[in-house]
Amino acid sequence: MSSSSVEDIPDQCKDLFTQDGVLLKACIGRPVTDLNSIGMLCIVQNVDNTKCIEWRPNDLITIDSDTQDQEWAVVNTIGRRQRTLSGNITSDYATARARIIRIPLEDLKTFRVTRNNQQMQFSTKPGVWQSTFYFQHGNAEIFVAYLKNHVKTAKTRHDRNTYVVVEPNVESQVLNKSFAELDIFTENTTDVVWNLVSNFKQRPYETTMEAFSKLTDIVYYGNEATNGKRDVSEEVADLLTKSMSALEDATSVTRNDEYEVISVKPTLPPRPSIPRGTPLSAEKWEGLQDTEGRVTEVEGVKQLIFRGGVAHSIRQTVWKYLLDYYPWHMTHAQLRVLHKKKTEEYFSMKLQWRSMTEGQESRFTEYRDRKSLVEKDVNRTDRTHPFFAGDDNPNLVVLSDILMTYVMYNFDLGYVQGMSDILAPLLLLLGNEVDSFWCFVGFMEKIASNFDMDQAGMKHQLLQLQQLLTFASPELARHLAAKDSGNMYFCFRWLLVWFKREFSHRDIMRLWEVLWTGLPCNNFHLLICVAILDAEKDSLISRDCGFTEILKHVNDLSMCLDVDRILSSAEGIYHQILSAPHLTDQIRVILGLPTVGTSTSSEEVASTSQADNGTVEDSDHSLYGKDMEEGTLKYDGIEIYIVSKTVWALLS
Amino acid sequence: MAKTYDYLLKLLLIGDSGVGKTSILFRFSEDAFNISFISTIGIDFKIRTIDLDGKKVKLQIWDTAGQERFRTITTAYYRGSMGIMLVYDVTNEKSFENIKNWIRNIEENASADVEKMILGNKCDLDSKRQVSKERGEQLAIEYQIKFVETSAKDSLNVEYAFFTLARDIKAKMEKKQEASNPTPRSGAHQLRANEQQRKPTSWLSRCNLL
Ligand SMILES: Nc1nc2c(ncn2[C@@H]2O[C@H](COP(=O)(O)OP(=O)(O)O)[C@@H](O)[C@H]2O)c(=O)[nH]1
Ligand SMILES: [Mg+2]
Repeated sequence: MSSSSVEDIPDQCKDLFTQDGVLLKACIGRPVTDLNSIGMLCIVQNVDNTKCIEWRPNDLITIDSDTQDQEWAVVNTIGRRQRTLSGNITSDYATARARIIRIPLEDLKTFRVTRNNQQMQFSTKPGVWQSTFYFQHGNAEIFVAYLKNHVKTAKTRHDRNTYVVVEPNVESQVLNKSFAELDIFTENTTDVVWNLVSNFKQRPYETTMEAFSKLTDIVYYGNEATNGKRDVSEEVADLLTKSMSALEDATSVTRNDEYEVISVKPTLPPRPSIPRGTPLSAEKWEGLQDTEGRVTEVEGVKQLIFRGGVAHSIRQTVWKYLLDYYPWHMTHAQLRVLHKKKTEEYFSMKLQWRSMTEGQESRFTEYRDRKSLVEKDVNRTDRTHPFFAGDDNPNLVVLSDILMTYVMYNFDLGYVQGMSDILAPLLLLLGNEVDSFWCFVGFMEKIASNFDMDQAGMKHQLLQLQQLLTFASPELARHLAAKDSGNMYFCFRWLLVWFKREFSHRDIMRLWEVLWTGLPCNNFHLLICVAILDAEKDSLISRDCGFTEILKHVNDLSMCLDVDRILSSAEGIYHQILSAPHLTDQIRVILGLPTVGTSTSSEEVASTSQADNGTVEDSDHSLYGKDMEEGTLKYDGIEIYIVSKTVWALLS
Repeated sequence: MAKTYDYLLKLLLIGDSGVGKTSILFRFSEDAFNISFISTIGIDFKIRTIDLDGKKVKLQIWDTAGQERFRTITTAYYRGSMGIMLVYDVTNEKSFENIKNWIRNIEENASADVEKMILGNKCDLDSKRQVSKERGEQLAIEYQIKFVETSAKDSLNVEYAFFTLARDIKAKMEKKQEASNPTPRSGAHQLRANEQQRKPTSWLSRCNLL
């Protein structure tokens, strides 16, 4: 292009997100002539790092005269950039500029989406909708999704399309702090709100609507009620949405219960509903260490974490054990020595690539390619999270350094796309380069086969997933097979980065720490897939989703999943499978259970299930390792096997 | 169910990582741009129905991702593409050189006469430019493929590119149809569209014949 480069002119502020095709429908204080003009709605970052919503009329876009001779007109957005233009245009430009609408995020109080995603309204004062925009493409939900990266919102009780801004301008320290405060909140079981919430989780039916309204009051009057601890309101808002959907579930439960008998094939026993536990608390964790810091009850600790995860305040420590960086049996003193050694080791590996000269690099294609991949991906990893947001963010350098050092640690594997997604939550939590690196090494150890050159590991898991689904949800498995999707390729992203793209940051921490325990069986992450898919069974089958719709449906589940509910149903499915009379060795192998020599094909089983019934009693006793104690517990009248009674004692 | 389109075209975006494939698709499907885009993992597609010379043409555009090693799995979704956008980044020499490799890759994996177009993206970044427009044009002449420089950020030529590719495929389909079916053209499109409604995957096999 022959026009002067827009990049040469320093921008005063930066467009974080732009949506074209947005009409100004109404705006208080603007002449009617300004209305109904088309423009662009943006999220803009100012020089002082504050942000605002900005609408710009399209008149700010001019045809670049230099390029008129081309086959097509080259349109150049000048936006607010200071360009010298000839007189006429300048004055037009000035009038157009005066029509820009800016809503600082600090002032934004409420917004709502109406008319089938075609209309969005913003309010900075209670009771008044300041401005109304019409989205030509009917995609306001996309704008909302990006806006929610910059403000914390809660939905209102009476109108699900209206969002209340509980905190504008989310910044990194604020968010980090919020994690800490959040934890105080969840730990404090005397807290009236928390009791209410946990009651709700455990007994959604019994929890009264009166309690429910108290909960919502706290969302709206949270600042007064909790001495300005804004994170409480945010947490509650979150739980509020969850409990709302729990209520919805409660109404659909009856439908799930009446299952259809499709064929003579043996069906699974009913699914027990197993409640999630509370996170491993700091006090409990301390109690589990001996005076010198050794953790002896490793199985018990893992059981606790499997049940309820880890309290945020001790995640930094506990994750190091779960990711095999810190051996459980080491004393504090030994760990200090280990830490020193690992630090030195890290920096010597880092030095290896840091000291590479430009000349060396130019003759080392493989290294250069990896470096450029790392750079590209680091720039596109969790950038909407405050910890990684903004230009020249030092955390991006650390992210990149760790990945480059990992290239030196394991040059055969090198850098493969997806690894930056695995590392980001670790770095975000641990904040420390060396610790994050070694925890990353530990995590990669668990999932290295996902990144095989020939993708054998991924293919193997997809096959195992298909086999599990066939056993646990045969109707859905048949549907998928009929739709050319029996290869389960649509679950590729889930498996590659362990659901990182499917859950919010907070939820992925919970899911990962539970999965790292390796409980209750091998490949529990595949049962997570089964649980998610099984919950979607009705919509996938009734809408008769085909090959492409299945992929779309699954991709669209991202950020719409409830981690606790999925964990609980995955565990339920595990117990269903365990107590199924027709359990096959094929399934036992996948889950790492001892085989008993039953037939491996579920087709065969259909005819021999009677015979299998006899052997199951005996095999049940060998399901668990010999050092584990087994027992039964009753939930909702259903007996389920529990691995260790001591763990249950610890829990209650 | 009422018919919502006359043609369904399956298109594919390919090119090195980071050239802007996902951004181009986002611009075309949502008319928006996001500076903190997330790298693509796995496979995804977007739909947009356009009006092309009086016909409703539904474009199903597939966004590809990842390194070579993921391709064995992701290609399952590419099969039967009727048009391919080959994207490079004008600020990245290597991505331009790789276009030749991508073309070779297509020749090995796609049907021989799949429609192609080369896009030189990020042309808004003039100060960082490494590949001149002339070199892009030269390459396009060499391979007899249409070419245009685009900017997903400034919404430059993205619409033009997809409309051009779609129009070329549609023309080719109509020509093929006439050749194979010399009877009067009455209702020919109709028939095809109805068939698509009943068997959503049937066009997959059909276009391999193209
Ligand atoms: N300036 C500019 N940046 C772009 C343009 N298109 C994409 N980008 C940026 O280039 C990076 C990679 O884009 P992405 O769409 O993820 O590339 P992909 O890997 O090919 O899908 C992102 O940071 C985008 O914001 C463009 O037209 N102009
Ligand atoms: Mg992409």
